[in-house]
Parts: sequence; structure tokens; C-alpha cells
Amino acid sequence: MKEYTKLAELALSLAKDGGATYADIRIEEIKQENISVRDGTAELIEKSTDFGLGIRVMVDGAWGFAASADVNQESIQRVSPQAIELARASSRVRDKHIVLAPIEKIVDSYQTPFVTDPFSIPLKEKLDYLLFLDSLMAGVSGINQTESMMTFIKRNKLFASSEGSIIQQLIIQSGAGISAVAMKSHRQMGTRSYPNSSGQHQTKGYELIRELDFENNAGRIAEEAVAVLGAKECSSKNTTIILDGPQMSLQIHESIGHALELDRVFGAERNFSGTSFATPDKLNNLRYGSEIVSVVNDSTRPFGLGTFGYDDEGVKAKRSFLIKDGILTGYLSSRDTAPQVGMASNGCVRASSWANVPIVRMTNTNLLPGDKTLEEMITEVDEGIYMQTVRTWSIDDTRESFQMGCEIGWEIKNGKLGEMIKSPSYSGNTVQFWNSCDAIANEKYWEIWGTPNCGKGQPAQNMPTSQGASPARFRNVKVGS
Amino acid sequence: MMKRDKALEILKKGVESSQADQTELVLMGEDFSFTQLAENVIRQNIYRSDHTIMARTAVGKKIGVAVTNRIDEDSIAQVIKTATEIASYQKEDPDFVSLPSSSPAPEIKGFYQSTSEYSPTKKAKDVEMVVKRCKAQKLAGTGAFQTETDVTAVVNSLGTKQFFEETKAHFSLTASAGDTISGWAQGYDRDVNKISIEDITRRATLKTILSRNPIELPPGKYTVILEEAAVASLLLFLGFLGFGAKAFLGGRSFMARNMGEKITGDRITIVEDPFHQVMNAIPFDYEGVPKKRVTLIENGIAKGVVYNSYYANKAGVESTGHALPPNNTFGPYPKNMVLSGGNSSLEDMIASTEKGILITHFWYINYMNPMKTQVTGTTRDGTFLIENGKIKSAVKNMRMGQSILEAFSNVEMMSKDRKLCPQFGVVMYVPAMKINDFTFMGG
Repeated sequence: MKEYTKLAELALSLAKDGGATYADIRIEEIKQENISVRDGTAELIEKSTDFGLGIRVMVDGAWGFAASADVNQESIQRVSPQAIELARASSRVRDKHIVLAPIEKIVDSYQTPFVTDPFSIPLKEKLDYLLFLDSLMAGVSGINQTESMMTFIKRNKLFASSEGSIIQQLIIQSGAGISAVAMKSHRQMGTRSYPNSSGQHQTKGYELIRELDFENNAGRIAEEAVAVLGAKECSSKNTTIILDGPQMSLQIHESIGHALELDRVFGAERNFSGTSFATPDKLNNLRYGSEIVSVVNDSTRPFGLGTFGYDDEGVKAKRSFLIKDGILTGYLSSRDTAPQVGMASNGCVRASSWANVPIVRMTNTNLLPGDKTLEEMITEVDEGIYMQTVRTWSIDDTRESFQMGCEIGWEIKNGKLGEMIKSPSYSGNTVQFWNSCDAIANEKYWEIWGTPNCGKGQPAQNMPTSQGASPARFRNVKVGS
Repeated sequence: MMKRDKALEILKKGVESSQADQTELVLMGEDFSFTQLAENVIRQNIYRSDHTIMARTAVGKKIGVAVTNRIDEDSIAQVIKTATEIASYQKEDPDFVSLPSSSPAPEIKGFYQSTSEYSPTKKAKDVEMVVKRCKAQKLAGTGAFQTETDVTAVVNSLGTKQFFEETKAHFSLTASAGDTISGWAQGYDRDVNKISIEDITRRATLKTILSRNPIELPPGKYTVILEEAAVASLLLFLGFLGFGAKAFLGGRSFMARNMGEKITGDRITIVEDPFHQVMNAIPFDYEGVPKKRVTLIENGIAKGVVYNSYYANKAGVESTGHALPPNNTFGPYPKNMVLSGGNSSLEDMIASTEKGILITHFWYINYMNPMKTQVTGTTRDGTFLIENGKIKSAVKNMRMGQSILEAFSNVEMMSKDRKLCPQFGVVMYVPAMKINDFTFMGG
């Protein structure tokens, strides 16, 4: 990407000549490999390349953004004035000048650590491995459908700003997952997935695939898919629940991460993604969760899909508290939203590609581990349900009322796991729910889980995020089938 | 934006250079312009241009797919080569017969110069008017004004050659009073001049004013009056859950084993109709097969699902022209659904309701039990209690838990007027509906 530095400088210079008081440019190449196997057949093997540039400018205190797939001098000379024209149009309908939180000038490069570049592994080896996993699941009696997939992404990007920053980054992401379906009649299905219904995705190389130990889990989940068909329904009641890591990851993502995006809090997403109940008047006084609930935004934590050196505004990766000992203490912010709550940007601005404007996004939203073992958490429950693996979810536009469904559950009776439960669901109110959290499993159970396609924004952008979590326990939760 | 002759020429040249047994190239181009209004200021103003080329090659029964957004001759040759290499690693797919060979699709007018040339400055002037109206009523306007020009071209080695240029214009507005009171309205058309920004602003702001001082209603079964966008959300999800051949043939669709059976009330007829006069949809799919009109549900009876060539071959039927792009594994999908209208109006529905809830639209619908079409989601931006034929008060948003098929079995009234509602890449033409025994779970 270094070879594009001159082009970047030209873009910034043209933007300045056009009247921009601030400008930045991102030149990005995204390479991707997707392999999916279904019922013993490779349904898709795909390689893709996406390359382009996006220029963001501020003129008269308002934003403009223009992007093109052509990366050359001619396109810079076309796109830079387009961005200026857009910003001038924006300035017709503005209130006050946008203020950017100050940041230091950065000239640096960064790459996520990996052992084996996943693009160096032959496609045939990957396909053969997925077909092998598929056969392990299909070999279990009663299984009707099987699916497995791998996905690898390499993002190579250059950021340059009119403040003098020039940053190159290489981000490598790997992911894989398997699932099995058993069907009894056309109305009854049992589904089990591993490690989660969307797989596991991290900023690692091919070593992630080897670490996930699919061989020793494929048969198990296929057997569970058959067993869950005959399992009992979850009766409607209020009870204690323990959620596994993947489900906790979703719960954090939907009811904490999205709720604390500062652009959403200020109403910028009201027309689509919604707003947030966690308004700035609640900062430092809302008891968001119980005292054991502490959540950090941490783009420095290795292996998350929100792990990077710098965000898409050139802000250095940071770890900052969002919730500390249960109290709301921070937001996910950008340079233009943070000053409105008297804070510095905590580096949460990301764009899904060169073609989209960077917006406030989750990076790695991590629930800090507790001090119990999972066994202790179960032993302490007289009656409850242990729920595993994301199945479905819905949350309202202010991020308060949610309904979640898991693939499988186990009854807990007198401190021991009992009968299997089919597709249990639970619902609640965000603040009540997090305040009912009375146990979080320790570091040994903690994992950073990837959400490969989080949708947000108008126009919609899909962004990879992560949530770090270990299993946690919640009291008096409404459950059902 | 690339024109017909150039697009077809570069794809033809690419296909001719291929060493694979069969080759298909899909070109998708966009000129995309978007103005985002947030709390009475333009927060973002965006323009982008991009082209994507997808190559699908067959070597015997082995298929490879490769994608690039470089459209020069060398890059196209390379993407075909990559797809062919991928195909060589593949295992044979016994269900693959051939890429389709299609005759030219009918001519449809989908392009409007007015939309294509609608500048950011024009949008800013419109938005300025919206903000003025919002401020006059002490409201905050947050919205999105999108115009785009897209081209799609498909050429394959069996002689298929299709091209379509289209424009889309979409304006939506949420007017709000404080953090929790809001009203929403939208308009969509291929011709930007047919969208009345003033009317959308009037409807959204009126809703907001009516939404003040909401009361809380207990969970339970209610008669509901769903405005068009709310109906469209249910229809969209029905399409997602079961109107595609992949889910149908795999037994994962509510349509499976129900073909010819009554699955909704008599009033419901759903047709995938790209050629409906208000749709003017792209007349072919992403493998170049001309689209067909497909009756999905007729007077409540399950009639059909949509096919691409792969699943059509598998089922021994003809493709209906509903393939998604070759790198999408969801299977064939209906993108232009038309729901039958009735003979009443929204006003009639309200006037005839002793007690019920009027709903503007839903948010975050997701399935709870896909085979029973059981979904959940919340009401949003304008929910009202109807009593004795009149709007009595605003209602706090509620979470519904409802089988869509059951809801469509309990339809009491449907409006004669229908609206175009775009959602997640699908355009639907739907009426408002009055439905009995609709279930809410509270909160």
C-alpha cells in the first residue's frame, strides 16, 4: 500500500485547495475466500478482490464523502472535488460546525499477528477438510442435512489525513463453523452448530481452524441435533439461566455494544437502526448491571474482529471502560461525537470497506471475567436452565426489550445438569437483565467471539466485531419455547 | 455508468477468452448517492461508483466462482482463470446439469434520467424544506434520501446476453419529539419526481404529534390495523422463510408438503410479479434467465415457489428466473412480491374497529419457529390505540409474537390502495390490513 502514498497526498492536497478544513483518504484492498459445503457437496468456492478509495472532507463545518473503484491520479482528480461538492451541499443544512476531538499525528504501520497466512493453504486442503467434517456429521444416524464453511479475509489499507497521519494496516481474519440438522417431520427440526451458529471468527491465520478441534466436535453436535428433536419443550416461567460464551457474546453485542454507540445515542441512526435508552444524562450514574458486570471497549485485545492498530480516523487502538462495576461510564465514540460528552475519541470509527463512510462501530466489546468455575455456577442453582448456542434474536430500536433463542438447553435441578431442552428462549429488559447477573465464569472460560456481519447504518454496512465473554448466570429471567 | 454496448462487449470478450467448459460473467455497476439527515442537520453526504464482475465457470460438473471489481481486460481474464482453477479443485456436483441458455428478456423501462441526475444540491434543498417543516413543529427530522443508477449485465458461453439499466429513489423520514416519541413515513419510486417529499414530511410529522403521551397496553391478543410497511415486513419474512426452492426442496420451508393446501385465509393472494406495472423490475435474474410471474399463494392456497436453474434441474421443472448472484448460497429468492388488495381503506378499517391497535411499521423481525412462521419483533414510530372507530391515544411500543400464516388467516379487511415498500433489497406492493387476534407479548 505504500506505493499509493503519493496518490493519497494528491487527494489531500486537492481537498485542501477545494476549501476542506479537514480531509482523509482510505485506499483499501480486500481479498476474500469463501468455501461452503452442504450435504457432502461444495456448494460454493469463491475468491474475491475488492479495491478502491474513499475520500472524506469537511467544508464549512460539514461532511462529504466520495468513493471510487478506480485508484489512479485521474480518479483522485475527479473524486476529491466530488467530496467537496457533497460537503458544501451538507453545509446548507447544518447547525454548528462539527468539532473533531484532537488526536496526535501518526506515521506507522500495523498488522494483526498470525502464524499461517490462510491464503497460503491450498483450496483443495481446505475443501477436503470440510468434506471430512461433513462426513463425520452425516455419518450419525438420523441426520438429514449438514453444512460447514470457512471464510478468510485479508484487508490491506492505507489511511492518510490532512493532519499528517499516514497509517498502513494489514488485518487477517479467519473463520469456520459446522452445523447438523435432524428432521422428524416437516414441522420438526433439531439443529446444532459448532462452535456457534455463525461459526467462530478471529483475527488469526489458519491456525484458528486447527485450534477449533472440529474433528472431536462434529459427531457430538450431530448426535445432539438428533437428540434435541426428542427433547422436551421449555415451559414458560421465570427461572435462573446460565448462558454459554457464544450466547453471552450476542447478548453483549445487542444490549450493550449497540446501545452505547454514541452516534446512535445522539439520534443519528433514528431512521433505521434506532436510538438508545442509555442517554448521556445517565453517564456515570446508571446502574446498567450488577456490581460484577464490567465491560470494556478494547481494540488492543488480540484476536478479536475489532482488533487493529488504528481506527478509520487514525485514532490509536484503546481499551476503555463502558461499564465499570455495573455503572455506565463510557460510550463507543468518534472524533465528532466524543467532544459532545466531553471525552476524547476511544477509537471506534470503522468502515466496512473503501466504498463506505466510516461510522461509530463496536470493536471488541468485552465482558470482564468473573471468579467462578462453570461447575460452581451450576452447583449453586436449585432450579434453572443452561442454554447454549445462538439460534435467533430480536431487540427493540432503543435496545431495551429483547427476545433471544438458543439451539439447546439443559435443565438444572439441585445443582446438577438434567434433561435436555429443545430450543429454549428467554426475554427481558436490558437493565433489569444485566442487574440480575450474579455470577460470571473465570478467565479459563473466557473467549473472544467473532460476529462476522454486524449490520448498521444508512446506507447499511456489514462490519466484523467481537465480544469477549465467559458463561454467566442470571436470576429470575422469563423463559419459554 | 457503463452503457449496454460496452458492458456486453467486455463480457463477451471475457467469455470468449475462457478455457472452461462453460462460462458465465455477471456485471453489476452502481452510481450511488445518499444524503443522511440526522436531528435536523445533514450528517453524511455520500457518493460512490463501483463495478463488480462475477465469473462462474463449469469444468464438467465442477463449479468455481471468482469476483473482482476491476473491469479491465486483463482483470476479467484473470477472474475467469481464477474461477476455472477453483473449479478444478472442486468435487463434482451431480445435481449440476448446465448453465442456462436464455433468449433476450422483455424490454422494461427502469431508467429515469430525472433520478440519475438528481444532484446532492437538489437533495440538500429538499432536506432544507423538511428541516424547516420539522423545526416549525418543534420536531427533529432524521432521514435518508437515496438515489442510484444501477446496471446489470449477464453473458454466458451458451449465448445468453442480457442488460438492464435502472434507477431507484427512496426517501424516508423519522420525525421525533424527544427520545421516545417519533413518527415515520417513506416513499419509493424509480422516478424521483414521483416521490412527494412534502407528503412524506407531512405524514411523518403528523404521526409524531399524535404519538405524544403514549399509554402502556398489557400483552394479549388484539385486533390490529397494519399500515403497508408493517404488512411488507411480514411478507418479506414469509418470503425469506419459505418462497425459495432451496428451502422448499430441503423440507425447511413452511410450503414443503403443503402445496395445494390452504395455509392462509381466502383473501390472501401473493404473486412474485416483476412485471407488475408499478414494479418495472429487472426482467432477468443473475444467470440471465428471463423472470416469470409466479403465484406463490392463491386465495390462501400454497401454489408455488421460485427457482433458479440449479434447483429447477433438481426438481425437474423450469427455472422461474430467480437466481441470486453466483456467490450467494441462499438459493432462489422472490424480490418483487405483490399482495392482493381489498376493497376498503385505512380510514374504513379504523372506523370499523371497536378496539384495536394501529401500527406504522415493525422493527427487527426475526423467527422464533421458522416452520410455523412464528416471528417476533417490535412496533415502532407510531403505534396507536383505536377505540370506537377513532384514534384514542398513542401506545408505547409493543413486542409481538405471531405466526405470519395465522395472521394472514385472520385478515378481516384489506385496503384497495397499495404502496410500494422496499425492504432489504426486496420491493413489495402491498395493502394495509386489519387482522384479528394478533398476539403481543408485552414490553
